Amino acid sequence: MADRYSFSLTTFSPSGKLVQIEYALNAVNQGVTSLGIKATNGIVLATEKKSSSPLIDPPSLSKVSLVTPNIGMVYSGMGPDYRVLVDKARKISHTGYKRIYNEYPPTRILVQDVARVMQEATQSGGVRPYGVSLLVAGWDDGIEPESTEDAATMSGDSETKKPTGKTGGILKGGPSLYQVDPSGSYFPWKATAIGKSATSAKTFLEKRYTEGLELEDAVHIALLTLKETIEGEMNGETVEIGIVGPPANHLLGYEGVEGAQGPRFRKLSPQEIEDYLTNL
Amino acid sequence: MSSPFSINGGACVAMVGKDCVAIACDLRLGLQSLTVSNNFPKIFPYGDVYLGLTGLATDVATVSDLLRYKVNLYRLREERAISPQTLANLVSSSLYERRFGPFFVSPVIAGINHTTGKPFICGFDSIGCIDFAKDFIVSGTASDQLFGTCEGLWEPDLAPEDLFETISQALLNAVDRDALSGWGAHVYIIEKDKVTKRLLKGRQD
Amino acid sequence: MPGFDFSNHARNAALHAQGFPLPKATSTGTTIVGCIFDGGVVIAADTRATSGPIVADKNCEKLHYISPQIWCAGAGTAADTEFTTALISSQLELHALSTGRNPRVVTCMTMLKQHLFQHQGHIGAYLVVAGVDPTGVGLFTVHAHGSTDKLPYVTMGSGSLAAMSVFETQWKSNIDREGAIKLAADAIQAGIFNDLGSGSNVDVCVITKEKTTLMRNYIRPNERERKQRSYVFKRGTTAVLREKVVERVDIGKYVTVHEVPLEAEGEKMEVDA
Repeated sequence: MADRYSFSLTTFSPSGKLVQIEYALNAVNQGVTSLGIKATNGIVLATEKKSSSPLIDPPSLSKVSLVTPNIGMVYSGMGPDYRVLVDKARKISHTGYKRIYNEYPPTRILVQDVARVMQEATQSGGVRPYGVSLLVAGWDDGIEPESTEDAATMSGDSETKKPTGKTGGILKGGPSLYQVDPSGSYFPWKATAIGKSATSAKTFLEKRYTEGLELEDAVHIALLTLKETIEGEMNGETVEIGIVGPPANHLLGYEGVEGAQGPRFRKLSPQEIEDYLTNL
Repeated sequence: MSSPFSINGGACVAMVGKDCVAIACDLRLGLQSLTVSNNFPKIFPYGDVYLGLTGLATDVATVSDLLRYKVNLYRLREERAISPQTLANLVSSSLYERRFGPFFVSPVIAGINHTTGKPFICGFDSIGCIDFAKDFIVSGTASDQLFGTCEGLWEPDLAPEDLFETISQALLNAVDRDALSGWGAHVYIIEKDKVTKRLLKGRQD
Repeated sequence: MPGFDFSNHARNAALHAQGFPLPKATSTGTTIVGCIFDGGVVIAADTRATSGPIVADKNCEKLHYISPQIWCAGAGTAADTEFTTALISSQLELHALSTGRNPRVVTCMTMLKQHLFQHQGHIGAYLVVAGVDPTGVGLFTVHAHGSTDKLPYVTMGSGSLAAMSVFETQWKSNIDREGAIKLAADAIQAGIFNDLGSGSNVDVCVITKEKTTLMRNYIRPNERERKQRSYVFKRGTTAVLREKVVERVDIGKYVTVHEVPLEAEGEKMEVDA
């Protein structure tokens, strides 16, 4: 039965399934585990960098990527498909947003754009779905959730209506973490994992995650979670971490421009990872 | 023969005050020296950002509709109101897209950024070059006169009530010296949580 | 940029054929300069934008960001310099991300000249491109028709002759950072005071291997005096026929989110089984 619906075109099976998408998810579930944790002041993305041979040159391999200065991405599944998606995500953030509004897209908009690319691969002829799930982490400017609560409590005694956050999107700053699947569906998370050991990692994260987590704690938890699932040795070379944190103005590369902020997303160097690992 | 910018006539001005901005326009629509209407406002609201458009009336209508469409799509997509700065860049890129077949309009934007709380005004040429000014922006057939009145009357940190008098007098006195502008005026005073729209009594000649 | 929209072109050409003049675009009038020094490069510009004889902007920005270590000074049609540099900046950023290398000044210059040549001079951007990359220091001029020059010191714009006179009399080889900044700023001031298309302040950008420093309004030789008296009108001067106040809380009334109750059973659509 499965043979009948395994052409390259994604076609419904009589039971209402798109088996090509399920196959793509199988590819994801065989991939190396990646995880993301959202903190109050940032986000951490982490993954294992597995090399099949000791001869491989580790620095040439990169799984955590910068998309815009405030948004980063990691994947589980097929590496080549991921590279295509990273290129497309970067390109669309410019052509579909920065060249129109002269600013980078908010995280949710970028996630929707990437999800659209992945969805189109499930409905177009002659192509197969992307064999990856993504974790997208980003920081958006705007009023952060805590400060709106402050504003609400301050004007609590007066009769003015509190902002509901429903229509006023200016109340939507701060960190966000999304997962995007081969089907093109996406989910916002506080913390999650994808790939081979996603289930056990998520169980671990459920135990460890607390509200009001700080970025430093989140990096710590990320490494602990990874430690549970990792097969080889854990060191700066075999673990890859990306963080969304405070603006890194030293990475801006220039000074004197009013209002210019450094990138919030950056990858941790092997040395920085080693430091976190020794404190584990 | 006259330029497409001065067939229909019209004037628009925006000013910055203390925690407030103002934008004002005249109400004339003409065909060369013949006045067709004294109720043709040139200021269009997009959420709580305001866009003034002077120039060829057909393009004023087309551009205001085009931007209403784009801003509405932005609000649906992003579930948030557009900020004055973002609208400025959207207007700019929309005009530059037609670099080799421009709309004959000179837009002006006024609004308060609700994330930073700071007042914002800017103006454009017909192909989208933004003029970020900290004081005032003028446009239309009375722009030369408006430059004069604004340079003379504007001062920093005007309260909303004083800003209203300053922008109104700057506009009224400028359009009185322009045959193609006038016939009443609209003035918007934009504050953090309040917008006041006033219809001014102006000469009808 | 996917391309330009020419849908108004036929109408505007017909209008032009009837004798209507073409629209006046904001021009940067402009004096812009660039000068190489030991270990880096400096570019500088005035801050006046003009529309015909009118000063449209007294303090505009003519130094454009391309990448952290490459900056551009622009003269000519203001919108063209703005959008051309923004487009090349965007393309170079994507290029840098996918190659994992810092962009080179020659790459930037080549992309600019190809873009401008393709448009046969109709994009009126006259640029000074300067920067530091792994191959060293670069300083170029790019003209609207696509020609380029590579020189140790360059000037462009309507004030280029005034500025060049300063370079030709005072420039020396092996100039240091401070000397180059002073020379560039002096050249711009020659433009500000002697060229009518240039005016207001001096903006400077210094690029070295270590860092880039933008010095906005490095010299402000034309500060306006505060007015001697206040010209604020007495409140109530202006005759108002009608007034309408919209409070911000009320603005919410125009855009509301309603929970739509599901009506009949049959209208429900099963999405997630």
